[in-house]
Amino acid sequence: MTLLEAAARLRRRDISSVELTAAALEHVERLNPSTNAMQLVMAESAREAAKQADAELARGEGRGPLHGIPIALKDLFFTKGVRTTAGSKLFENHVPDHDATVVEWLRRGGAVIAGKTGMHELAYGITSSNPHFGAVRNPWDRDRIPGGSSGGSAAAVSAGMVAMAMGSDTGGSIRLPAAYCGVVGLKPTYGRVSRYGAMPLAFSLDHMGPFTRSVRDAGAVLNVIAGYDARDEASCRRAVENYVPDPEPSILGLRIGMPENFYFDRLDPEVDAAVGAAFRHAESMGAQIVPLRVPDIGAMNTVARLILMAEASAALEPHLEHRDLFGPDVLALLDQGRLLSATDYVNAQRLRRGMQREFARLWPRIDCLFTPTTPIVAPLIGETTVAIAGENEDVRLASTRLLRAINLLGLPAISIPCGVGERQATKNDGLSHATGLPIGLQIIGRPFDEALILRVAQALHPAEVAVPKL
Amino acid sequence: MHNEPMRDWKKIARANGFSMPEAALERIAAPLDALEADFRPLARELPPEVGPAVIFHADTEDAA
Repeated sequence: MTLLEAAARLRRRDISSVELTAAALEHVERLNPSTNAMQLVMAESAREAAKQADAELARGEGRGPLHGIPIALKDLFFTKGVRTTAGSKLFENHVPDHDATVVEWLRRGGAVIAGKTGMHELAYGITSSNPHFGAVRNPWDRDRIPGGSSGGSAAAVSAGMVAMAMGSDTGGSIRLPAAYCGVVGLKPTYGRVSRYGAMPLAFSLDHMGPFTRSVRDAGAVLNVIAGYDARDEASCRRAVENYVPDPEPSILGLRIGMPENFYFDRLDPEVDAAVGAAFRHAESMGAQIVPLRVPDIGAMNTVARLILMAEASAALEPHLEHRDLFGPDVLALLDQGRLLSATDYVNAQRLRRGMQREFARLWPRIDCLFTPTTPIVAPLIGETTVAIAGENEDVRLASTRLLRAINLLGLPAISIPCGVGERQATKNDGLSHATGLPIGLQIIGRPFDEALILRVAQALHPAEVAVPKL
Repeated sequence: MHNEPMRDWKKIARANGFSMPEAALERIAAPLDALEADFRPLARELPPEVGPAVIFHADTEDAA
């Protein structure tokens, strides 16, 4: 059931928040042992919040579509009085004394927080195979990664534990797990959603956004979490709008960019075919496909990686004396970042300015851009390289290759499912598995044009996302 | 300038006080070699008038 469907049933009194929350907690209890999506279950406080929501709804004091809906939060969002680890041993006993802005606003909207989700250690990686809290597993095939770093949030929504979970995206960490887990993942424009109270990884690249089971749900969540927040120095004062698209929106005449370079250079053939079908689908609805060359995305990825490494090491340097509390992959990245020079960082930020201007020259010709979200489907847990079109590629670099530049540019982007590959998924535990793995389509928009990418996404994917066989 | 040798990341690491086995140093140095090879040509082409994307605002109102 989608968030908006649940909200409608709550308003009609077909179901209560207490019942919805009990069902979510039962689902978590049943599926968490095999997925490890939820790192902390907040059963007691969720039941209390649900009772309060029901009482308010009975009095006609509705707070909007999230009122009474069980949700989850990536475990880097500060929750007052509730442990927030960021997937790190460093913060194993960290109990914040305040909520992140996003959490505060979600609570104000009446959301019922059912738990905190598992993630890659410190949000610095894409597998969500956490050395301290265990590997999060992909609900479509438990031998595979859900992607990361927001892997638990994507897995929780994919498995139907909750209708919405919040994530963060510094180099693809919302869109990538959304694609690997077959759900909707929205990274809003930099500055659109407050970062305050979310454990930082890279100050100038971090974005906060939702995972949902439908496009309209993502818009409904953005309506609640978007807006100016004085506590975040990157927060934007630009007015918010209604982000929920019509159920059957028109994209007649809309100009959709089709990159002729980079984005389709080296893809799994199943991904290529599924994204090609998405272009044809959009064209059949009256959109105009505009083939075009995009600026050097590989160079943007390089600059974004350098900025990420420098900023992450700066943010975490105070903790680096406790080397035994880090996993080896994250520790190596943090050590690398400490060795970069100040000159490199400043030059990377100068290059970023030029790249932003260069990319902006595309917008007079198009309204949005379609690309694959990832060149591959979800890799196996422990796999470090993948063969794509006959070439071996590092799993982390391959998984973020089509995503990282969009963090550098701060543009809004959404990943929606656009197909399921036909290859047989691995079986490992005797449970039934899907016969294929999901594929994601990335839709990139102009700065602060979330409403448009949500409209296009809804036109292409008006239904609830497919449910893996669990 | 264009012929400037690539940095020796292992030496830089040791100079920064990293005391670790050779294999661990290699784990740090190899990705930095690759990053430097990609980054240096880009930085060389920077026009002098381009400022960094991170700008300090003297007035906190502007900063917000």
